[in-house]
Order: sequence, then C-alpha cells, then structure tokens
Amino acid sequence: MRGLICKDFFVMKKQLGYYLAFFVVYGVLAVTGVFPASILSALVAVIAMMVPMSSIAYDDQAHWGRYAAATPAGRSGVVAAKYLFTLLVLAACAVLVAVLAAILSLTGLLTEPLADLLAAVGACMGVAMVMDAILLPLLFRFGAEKSRTISMIFFIVIFGGCMLLGKLAQQQGGLPRPPAWLANALPALLAILAVGTFVLSYWIAQGIYEKKEL
Amino acid sequence: MNYALEIEHLSKQYGSFRLDDVSLAVPGGTIMGLIGENGAGKSTTIKCILNLIRRDSGTIRVLGMDNLREERAVKEQIGVVLDECTFHETLRACEVGKILSRIYRRWDSACFEDYLRKFGLPRDKTIKEYSKGMKMKLSIASALSARPRLLILDEATGGLDPVVRDEILDEFLAFIQEETHAILISSHITSDLEKVADYVTYLHKGKVAVQGAKDELLDTYGRLVCARSDLAAVDPALLAGKRVSQFGCEALIKDRRAFCRRYPQLTVDPVTLEEIMLFTVKGDASCAD
Repeated sequence: MRGLICKDFFVMKKQLGYYLAFFVVYGVLAVTGVFPASILSALVAVIAMMVPMSSIAYDDQAHWGRYAAATPAGRSGVVAAKYLFTLLVLAACAVLVAVLAAILSLTGLLTEPLADLLAAVGACMGVAMVMDAILLPLLFRFGAEKSRTISMIFFIVIFGGCMLLGKLAQQQGGLPRPPAWLANALPALLAILAVGTFVLSYWIAQGIYEKKEL
Repeated sequence: MNYALEIEHLSKQYGSFRLDDVSLAVPGGTIMGLIGENGAGKSTTIKCILNLIRRDSGTIRVLGMDNLREERAVKEQIGVVLDECTFHETLRACEVGKILSRIYRRWDSACFEDYLRKFGLPRDKTIKEYSKGMKMKLSIASALSARPRLLILDEATGGLDPVVRDEILDEFLAFIQEETHAILISSHITSDLEKVADYVTYLHKGKVAVQGAKDELLDTYGRLVCARSDLAAVDPALLAGKRVSQFGCEALIKDRRAFCRRYPQLTVDPVTLEEIMLFTVKGDASCAD
C-alpha cells in the first residue's frame, strides 16, 4: 500500500504544485480584499474533490488498476491507498490553509477573526470528507470519465446550494438561530458525520472493487 | 515433479464466450507457451490466474498455493508483464523502482538498476519519452526485479522488433535456469515460442485444442501436401484440419509416423506451431460449413 501512495504522489506532484500555487494566489486575493478569506477554506473542499478524481483518471489512462491488482497490494490495497492518499492531501491542504490564515491574521493582513477562519477550515474539511465519501465509490465503480458528469452535478448542487443559502440568509437578516446545545455540538456532529461517512464509504468501495472485473 | 502453476478444470463465462474446462500445468524450470487466435481465451486464463476476474469454476495453484486463499503470498512470487506498459507516462524509471520496492517484499533494487543498464533504459526520462520496445523492457525489468518464481507474460512481445524480442527471450532463458522458476507466456508470435518454449498449450474457442511438449508436438504433427484425389483417399480420422484450394490440398496430420506407415506413397513434412494453429482453425471452419 505504501508503494501505491508513493505512486500517487509521484504522478500528481505537478498537479499538487499547481494547487499550492492556487493557495498562494487566492491568499493574495484574500489579503487584497478581492475575495473573502473564507475562499481559502472553500479551496480545501474543491481540491479534496479534484484530487481523487484526477488520480483515478490518471490510473484509468495508464490501465494501472489491472497491474496494481496483480501485485501483492491487491485490490484491497488499491482502494486503501486511494482513501489514505485522499486523506493525506486533505489534511495537508487543511494544515496549509490554517497556517496561511494564522500568518495572515496575526500579521494583520486579514481582518476576519482567526477562530472563524480556523472553524471554516474545519467545516470545509468535514464537507470535503463527506463529498469524497460519496465520490470515491462512484469512481471505483464507474471510472473517472463516467463519474465526471455525476461529480460536476454534485459540485454544482453543493456549492450552488451553499451560495443560495447564504443569499437567502442575507435577505432575511440571517439564518434562524439554532438552539445553543446544537450550536455547541455542531463541530463534533460534523466531525462524526464526516468520519462516519468516510469509513462507510471505504467499506462500500472495497466491496465494489472486490467484485469488479479488471 | 514440482509444478509452478497448476490449472484444473478452469471455466469462465463471458457473455457469449466461454472458457471451458481448461487444464494445464507448468513444471518448474520450464517455459509454457500459451497460443491461440484472438479471442481464444489466453488473456482470460491469465486474468483468472492473477485474480483480475472471477472464475466460475476450477482450481488454480501457484507454487502449491491456492491463488485465492493465499493471494498475497502467491502474488509475491509472480512477476507480471501485461500486453501494454501500465506505468503512468509521467513516471521515470527511478520512480517506478521506488514504487515497486515498497510493494514487493523481495524487490531487488540493484537487480533493477542492472536491468536498466543492460536494456539501455534512461533512469531520468519520463516513460512518455520511451519507445514501445523500451516500455516493454521496463515492464520486464520490473517483473524480474521483484525476484519472482513464476513469470507471467500476456502478449508481452507483440509489436517489438526481432532484435528486442531476441534480447528479451535470452533473459527468459536465463530466468529458467533456476529449477524453481517457470514462465507462462502467451503470444501470437509462435516462432518465438518455438525457440524458447518447452511446453505449449493451444487454446481454440475457449477450449484446449492441443497440448504437450513442444518438441513432441512438432515431431508428432505433420503437414500433408497432395492432390484432391489423394486427400479423398485418406482416412479423415487421421486429419486434424485441411485446406483445399484450386492448386492442391494441405492437411494437418495428427500422427506423422503412423500416417507414413499407412500411406507410404504420400509425403508428410514437418510442421510449425503456426501451421498447427491455422489448420486447427481451418478444420473447425470446414466442419462448420
């Protein structure tokens, strides 16, 4: 499995470099006020969705799946490595954005409170995990090409829905306040939901790939 | 005798195609050639060995281990070369080595570097910049550097020039000098198998049509060239296939010596693996007519 994760980093290194550049560029845009600082957190979710799709697309292009399944890593290793790679990239993005936000906030370049920025990073990480939990089994079942349409629709619904919700909240003077206990428990609930769906997704993907004819 | 690979009564249904009751065994220290026309079931057989597809019935044992129950241990002992290079084009040979060293427990980095040098493969160029022959050599170097005991090649030499193929065949002959090593190679290039194979299994429409020691098959089968009137006088039970044209007839004889004793006036020539294949297919076609 280590070899397969290593392979993903080698294959995706150029792309991961581009994503790093995105963070820098959007960081500058956030500092200059073109975008709100929360755009950096949203990037975490976007990249978390794109990375597994691109990785599996590269694998499909090279017909790597057949070869990898024929190695000692086997089918279960292929799935496990992909989930772990996704998690590692997600964690790295979240840490990078958190550090960037902390630096920009502490140097006074960003006006948003650091706690809000870090909370946004955590929330986007949770959302990203749920999105990947839905995407990854589809990618293993249908391949990158066929899953692309489904993922695009999914992306539009999630982000469009969030933007619409934000606009509605603005028009109505904010969203209705949740009860205090819910507001306090929300981060933990989101974390449980994110981890729970990710673990469930992993087992579903294992089942899918176990039966797939390569 | 110790067998590196034993397949018994393997069957797999794929829509209208059926791999039907295929059995073969590859003894240690030998090379088995798996031949057959396109769609005969060669790749299906290999995919079943590697568990890339689920078999419907039958057993497969690799080095005495069940290929499903002891899958990981089996795959540690198998070096695989598929019909195309399955490494990503953005990778470099040195990166392939690093990846595979973390997958195979018995990976030999020094051996891999030796093969890169021997095959003239640049370490730091991307695979995209490799020619087809270089990509195949990289696949073979990777398979051999995992220190396998069984090498499985699926149409690995197709599309390569004779010089490269000769180089690769020499590596295979060196590999099986070890009595515990064996090779299963599927190929359309029957001339290559005539050079290196010890045993041959010919698959035709999902079934084993001909099987045995290569030298014995080439010694037993024969090619009859004669006039139509002569062919009409021959017992059809002695023929494995025939081709009739306006200029004459050719037929595949199952037992050359027995045929010559019975029909001493007719000449039977030695046959090649390719001719065995062609006549078997033609024989099948003429039966269908």
